[in-house]
Amino acid sequence: MGLENQLVGDNVLVTSLTKLVNWGRSNSVWPCTFGLACCALEMIASTLANFDISRFGSEVFRPSPRQSDLIIIAGTLSKKMSVMVKRIYDQMADPKWVIAMGACASCGGIFQSYAVVQGVDQIIPVDVYIPGCPPRPEAVLAGLMKVQEKIRTEKLDQRPDFKSGML
Amino acid sequence: MEFSPIVDAICEICPGSVLKQTDHHGTHEITVAAESFYEVMETLHGDEKCAFDMLTDIVGIDRLPRTPRFDLLYILLSSRDFTRLIVRLETDEGQDVPSVSSIWHSANWGEREVFDLLGIKFSNHPDLRRILTWENFEGHPLRKDFPLLGKDYDKPFDPTTIEDYC
Amino acid sequence: MTERKTITLNMGPHHPATHGVLRVILELDGETIVNATPHIGYLHRGIEKICENRNYQQIIPLTDRLDYAAASANNIGYCLTVEKLMGIEAPKRAQYLRVIMAELARIMGHHLWLGTHALDIGAMTVIFYAFRDREMIMDINEEISGYRLTPSFIRIGGVAQDATDEFIKKVRDFVKWFPKALEGYHTLLTKNKIWTTRTMNIGVISAEEALNYGLTGPSLRGSGVAYDVRKAFPYSSYNDFDFKIPIGENGDIYDRYLVRMEEFKQSIDIIGQAIENLPAGPVHTDNPWVANPTLPEVQNDISALIRRFMIHAKGTPVPKGELYSAVEGAKGELGFYLVGNGNEHPYRLKIRSSCFYLASALPRLLVGHMVADAVAIIGSIDVVLGEIDR
Repeated sequence: MGLENQLVGDNVLVTSLTKLVNWGRSNSVWPCTFGLACCALEMIASTLANFDISRFGSEVFRPSPRQSDLIIIAGTLSKKMSVMVKRIYDQMADPKWVIAMGACASCGGIFQSYAVVQGVDQIIPVDVYIPGCPPRPEAVLAGLMKVQEKIRTEKLDQRPDFKSGML
Repeated sequence: MEFSPIVDAICEICPGSVLKQTDHHGTHEITVAAESFYEVMETLHGDEKCAFDMLTDIVGIDRLPRTPRFDLLYILLSSRDFTRLIVRLETDEGQDVPSVSSIWHSANWGEREVFDLLGIKFSNHPDLRRILTWENFEGHPLRKDFPLLGKDYDKPFDPTTIEDYC
Repeated sequence: MTERKTITLNMGPHHPATHGVLRVILELDGETIVNATPHIGYLHRGIEKICENRNYQQIIPLTDRLDYAAASANNIGYCLTVEKLMGIEAPKRAQYLRVIMAELARIMGHHLWLGTHALDIGAMTVIFYAFRDREMIMDINEEISGYRLTPSFIRIGGVAQDATDEFIKKVRDFVKWFPKALEGYHTLLTKNKIWTTRTMNIGVISAEEALNYGLTGPSLRGSGVAYDVRKAFPYSSYNDFDFKIPIGENGDIYDRYLVRMEEFKQSIDIIGQAIENLPAGPVHTDNPWVANPTLPEVQNDISALIRRFMIHAKGTPVPKGELYSAVEGAKGELGFYLVGNGNEHPYRLKIRSSCFYLASALPRLLVGHMVADAVAIIGSIDVVLGEIDR
């Protein structure tokens, strides 16, 4: 806008690298399928015809963590499964984000017992929490939009993967 | 199904094994002595008059502080005329119960679950190990002296402690 | 001299099919499975231990989350067990509403089975149509109880509230629409050459073996045994309805598929009969130990206020006794063994889960088949891990 337009015309766009990278990242967040319990059914419902998560950019749910950007922990995390969650989170490539979907993933839910981890944030860092038991598919979409908002306002040089020299 | 011919058949093959008979809201129940337990179960499965061909479930109950401590209930179903029978066995801490997994295959996982959650051991079981909790879990959760929240519930959980056992 | 060794392949707890967190360790000789060991417990939440510390009404949402694909059927099983022990009976209208919710739950559960089973085998279209119909049932659930997936609508002594006119209209519309959808599923799959090649004569289990392994539900009926808890031990006015039990012959995946497709039809018939003949009357028993006083009563009468607090906060005492009672859930016989000891918490509540025994039969079903058939077989027995691991 402004001086640049007068100099070079209407077919040139000027922006910052941060904004460009964040725009690309936020509009194509590919989740990893990680349905554990009842919330998984509402997550599937949000991907299918009635609610359609792919119009927000999450076109495919990759089964492999190496190819995904986002992991949605949907369901109760039992202590036996927490080992797998840590392993899968570590296998994901940067940049990666985590959504804790549902009451059980956020804080243990209605299961306060010897076998349940009271919240997935004891194991991995969480970006967005979606409350509900199970949350409606619209709530899942709202959570995804919050993650997209978070990605858009990130600064590239403050991301942990920047320090390794890769962008 | 009339249960007295069945009880008579059992008493003929293993005398003195049926200690008590009751009726729970329409389901017949017999209490069996520990010594002749396996023969009674074989009779219930194989005998002409009984033919209980499905073991629906095995229920373990901790009756602390009563001795004997545990109640084991075997819920049987006959597919001939769809009747149920409950077989009750009272067993104590440290006593081994003969496994019925060679008679009904469904007892394989049923007994593993009772072992995991209550600590009752079954002899002659093909693969007796924990099924619902992890391999080096300490304690047996469904016992009355095991707290609901488990050990160390106020500290954050560290998955590396059980990494090799899941 | 070359030596033949087996490869160990881990179908880990995290895999793309929605069956949940089931882990199967396969030993392969080439493509053929020589040994299969299922590992469960990755969703063990300690529900039975939690139940010993909650009062009887607080356990109802916990039972919803057992077989979360078909939630209402679990509620009914639990509430019937407690009612039998207490010696109370739900009124007729409540029993008919329970039947409608249970059969809708069965249809919901079978839709999930159909969509994911077909998706695993490769037919991706079916899941979109299946979930379109599932959304209609979830609308009905939301209308009557406010929840989509886990209604917790059934209470001890009846149901939570009466059916609204909107609910009856939605159920009637669904009953009119569903047979066309069912025809659509049959067109997509039943005579499809790829489907029949992938499912016929695979995962065969005979009737005696199925009974010995403790299988119940459509997996048992696919092998030819006519055992359905609704007919063998009738509950909740199922005797008033006219329905058949579909039975298979060969015990393979295709027969289990056909049994479930026919169960769709029988369930929608039962719902149609129930909604047309819905009797008038109360939807909750007036036994003072369980009946929730209404809001006008609570606001005007001190004894109703006290009773409301007693029922919700303290709980309802259940007499001493033991009882086993089962219902036909979407996957098979779902039983509850309840030991009551006179106070407000159960002494012991054991949940007989149908999927537990279905998963225990996996070693028998998988051995001798190829890896690609493993996915088809796991899909055909239709396990839901919430019920297995409790």
